[in-house]
Amino acid sequence: MNVEKGKTVKFLKEKMTVDKEVINNLKSFNKSKKAIINSLKEGSKTVPQLAKDLNISTQDCMYQLMSLLKYGFVKTGEIDDMDEYFYYELTEKIR
Amino acid sequence: MENHYKELSYDVLVVGGGIAGGEAALNLANIGYKVIIVEKELSIGGKMILLSKVFPTLDCAACITTPKISEIDRHSNISIFTSSEITKIEKKAEYEFVAIIHQKPRYVHIEDCTGCQLCEEACPVNVEDQYQYGLVGRKAAYIPFSIASPRVAAIDIENCTLCGACERACPTSCIDFTQTDEYFRLKVNSVIVATGFKLFDPLKIPRYGFDRFKNVITSMQMERQLAPTRPYNTILRPGDGKMPDNIAYVLCTGSRDKSVGNPICSQVCCMYSIKQAQLLMGALPMADITIYYLHIRAFGKGFNEFYGQAQEMGVEFVKGKVAKIKSADNGNLFLRYEDFEDGIVKEAEHDMVVLSVGILPNMGIDDVFDGEDLNLDEFNFIQQSDPLASPAKTSIEGVFVAGTASGPMDIPDSILSSGAASAEATSYLRRIKS
Repeated sequence: MNVEKGKTVKFLKEKMTVDKEVINNLKSFNKSKKAIINSLKEGSKTVPQLAKDLNISTQDCMYQLMSLLKYGFVKTGEIDDMDEYFYYELTEKIR
Repeated sequence: MENHYKELSYDVLVVGGGIAGGEAALNLANIGYKVIIVEKELSIGGKMILLSKVFPTLDCAACITTPKISEIDRHSNISIFTSSEITKIEKKAEYEFVAIIHQKPRYVHIEDCTGCQLCEEACPVNVEDQYQYGLVGRKAAYIPFSIASPRVAAIDIENCTLCGACERACPTSCIDFTQTDEYFRLKVNSVIVATGFKLFDPLKIPRYGFDRFKNVITSMQMERQLAPTRPYNTILRPGDGKMPDNIAYVLCTGSRDKSVGNPICSQVCCMYSIKQAQLLMGALPMADITIYYLHIRAFGKGFNEFYGQAQEMGVEFVKGKVAKIKSADNGNLFLRYEDFEDGIVKEAEHDMVVLSVGILPNMGIDDVFDGEDLNLDEFNFIQQSDPLASPAKTSIEGVFVAGTASGPMDIPDSILSSGAASAEATSYLRRIKS
């Protein structure tokens, strides 16, 4: 079968269906990404502050925030006065 | 199926592209043998390429591994098959083995990918990064890790939404969703098994609270936190992002423990914990590090001095067995342990706990041998037919073992073992002519 280079995803789409869990995971990531970015627009925050703001667990917040740090949406700021928690802020990519 | 096999022919098949398999392949390739490495992961380099530093010299692991991996990758006598597994090896006659390789689709043409990461940027998906041991996410179109070899993208089809964004972003059109499984029939004269080890899964000891308490992590997760290509901006608790200042190590997690089915010593957990403790004292100068141990086994060259160095730096060593770990509301952890020296049960509070997990055999390679049996020892590692005189020989003439496939060992011993396996293989291959 001849499939045009650069447009091969159509070929696989006809052969397999995407798992519901994969779609739900994408929706959930998009939702938390949006929420974290919106919250950080107010100013830099630590993980516990951000988790409280978004009403999610600190561990989920940490995982999502560190993923956004890896993808270049968020950067590390100063550490708090107790030398315990870092503040995180948006990068130029978002602002 | 028979008609779909592509035919290949080499002198030696090396199963596993970790540091042991890579070293054995390099030794053989340098004296002119044609070698094929079959690796199940997306990159060669095994576990060593993911480490921070090595004991007892504190040399950077990547600085040792990367040049070696690059030499293996570029060697004209070595071919590498990644995302591939051996499904069958049959010894037809002396010096004549036939193996079947199953290569899973990567959905990327390796030779055309420049590693630009534009597909990664375009991919909307976020799933756990297995090469960062779940501490952070990665995309479904991704480069396994920054020093991977080959350093090219792959599509994680199980987590892909088939949106096509990666394909549209790719400047070289190297992404190809029409790729399918491929099968190869391989003829070789000799086989080296370097299938490595797997780490103990601490979920098997529920009383330590791994996964339930996010500030209880494994030593491999700490190794990633200490590496230059770490998941966070510095060493942090995965539970809430706090910079820890009182870290505990629980040695022998899943080793020397009959209750979890692994009565043997992992050979490395004492030393890598002592190494991590020293690195942590450098990274977090204000932190207290406590190591709970049964016995410290510092048996190698320079190991005991390395242990002494950790003591002088202020690492606290407590001879005792941790029974249970509980979590407080602030994420801190209470360790209930038997203090062997005082003979009483005590409790101590720490803000992060590292489980120094043991080494288990990577099962399954014996099942692929057809005809002759590849014997395993009582702990399911590959049995060395003559461990004292010829440690690389197995129960099958012409099949040799390298590295941790034969039992727990550290990196220098793995390299030595690979030297032995390649020397034995050479001696075997030379006999073809005679």
